[in-house]
Amino acid sequence: LTARALAAAKPYRFSRELSPHALGVAMNIPTLVTLALVIAYPIYYAAYLSFHKVSLAELRRGIFPFVGLANYTRIFNDSLFLLALKNTLIFTAFSVTLELVLAIAIALLIDQTSVWTGRITKFLILVPYAVPPIAGGLIWSFIYSFEYGFLNRILFTTGLSATAVNWTGHPATALFAVAVPYIWRTLPFAILLVHAALQGINQELYEAASVDGAGAMQRFWHITLPLLRPIIVVILVLRTSFAFAVFDEVLAITQGGPGDATWVAAWYSYKRGFSPPFDIGVGAASAYVLALIVGMFAIAYVGLIYRRIR
Amino acid sequence: MRQGAPTRAALHVANLLVIAFFLLPLIAVVFGAMQSEKSLHADTRGLWPPEWTLDNFRVILSGGAQRGKVFEQATYLPDNIKKFHYALINSTVIAVSVTALTLIFASLTAYTVVRLRLRWVAWLMSVNVFARFVPVIVLMIPLYIAFRQMGLLNAIWGVIVAETGFLLPYGILILVPYFATIPQELDDAARIDGCSRFTAFIRVTLPLSAPGLASYGAIVFVIAWNDLLIPLILNNRAEFMTLPVMIASLVGDVFAFFNLTMAICLIALAPTVILVLLLRKFVVQGLSAGALKG
Repeated sequence: LTARALAAAKPYRFSRELSPHALGVAMNIPTLVTLALVIAYPIYYAAYLSFHKVSLAELRRGIFPFVGLANYTRIFNDSLFLLALKNTLIFTAFSVTLELVLAIAIALLIDQTSVWTGRITKFLILVPYAVPPIAGGLIWSFIYSFEYGFLNRILFTTGLSATAVNWTGHPATALFAVAVPYIWRTLPFAILLVHAALQGINQELYEAASVDGAGAMQRFWHITLPLLRPIIVVILVLRTSFAFAVFDEVLAITQGGPGDATWVAAWYSYKRGFSPPFDIGVGAASAYVLALIVGMFAIAYVGLIYRRIR
Repeated sequence: MRQGAPTRAALHVANLLVIAFFLLPLIAVVFGAMQSEKSLHADTRGLWPPEWTLDNFRVILSGGAQRGKVFEQATYLPDNIKKFHYALINSTVIAVSVTALTLIFASLTAYTVVRLRLRWVAWLMSVNVFARFVPVIVLMIPLYIAFRQMGLLNAIWGVIVAETGFLLPYGILILVPYFATIPQELDDAARIDGCSRFTAFIRVTLPLSAPGLASYGAIVFVIAWNDLLIPLILNNRAEFMTLPVMIASLVGDVFAFFNLTMAICLIALAPTVILVLLLRKFVVQGLSAGALKG
């Protein structure tokens, strides 16, 4: 008799045991309470705040007057908000594209198990993932430093340049100077996903293609890349939605500067809400716009994952 | 497939470039942390530091009480650095508590998703996938107001609750596929032997899921230890800061020169880097599970 047959033959209800439904409720109470408190309620309350005037005076009195869409019209008439959105788009497009290309290249590289240096690379891949983003950002800002930075020291020592380059001080390069540390930190995750997908490709496909005379490049374009497509889409959606909310690196490296060249969406919400004049209503409205943009990516992601399962 | 010598040489070079990119910040932080302010000023063009010192760590870990030789001239030290030990303790307490709480809550929920087959639990699961995408800044503005009204600002508990809630959805996403790989028959067998569903969960499913719990535990610890925005907004007094908040408070502070901030960064990144290298296998499994099997 298998366990299942036995189970069917003899319904084992204990006098004290909860029904599956009651047990489900009981076991989910901690999760439900926490999620209601920290995710559901704030999402509702952020929407509420975005339609009300909330700044220092209102916080002291505890009364938030209703202002309708005023916070939203204010941010969409604020050239700084539009610039922050534009910067976020450029930052996201640049970092996600570069990250994807690097992730595929490095995953293919560590897949070459016969090269022993590849094992060192594989061992070290997770290091940037573990470094606190704010510490990573500050370390990179030390590397970029105009007077003391390693990047300029490398230029001097190798003789590539005799004058110091101000990496984070130029409006044209500052956003990319923030993007490189962000790519450094998030690349490990993308490499792992691509590498896991590579393991799932049937090696016989490559052997068959080689027999037919396909070169390495042809094998990559006609076998590897098409088979990696699902994971590439997953990485694109996940990384894009997280890159939209970049914050730590901006705080550590440029604080939005020089001028307003590296103001991004999350930085805008933070500065509006938590620095004078503490316009929390405006901060909430701008954060909500960010959440709606990211929400669209989330819907795309769920659609993709469910299609993969079916 | 065998490669020729030129291909192999090219692959070695490529590997070395990748390793250099990954390690460059680690080298920079070690070099910066082990120099005096004077030696950073003295030679601004060479790569190799003229002198090495551990005085930065001495100053930080003693809260400014001991000023090594290189700090004899220093007259002012930012207040936050003097309270460094608070940040170290807070970070540890918060990361450990958040890891423990999310492990318990997420495994309870993951079990109901996998074993009880209730419609509303499945619905909860898809809400979870969405919850993972909500940018933290959206949650932090209302949480700041709510915690302010409840008097939970500048409290370790407030940060623990907020981070637990924020990390739970991700944890459930990682644990569900793991629990699903444990055969239902083991549960059934335990129940025939007289276990209730809940004891079967405690005695059978949980012990068998040790690798899954290790993956998730390591990932949560890293995220909780590294998180900046939640404690930055909820706690602003030095006694309640975590290490990332302290680092953020020193950004742009002219009295905290690179040698000191790099030493703090090195102390802040050491625990998570070591943990991840030790539990490499588990972290890799957890990260791929959380992304692919929603």
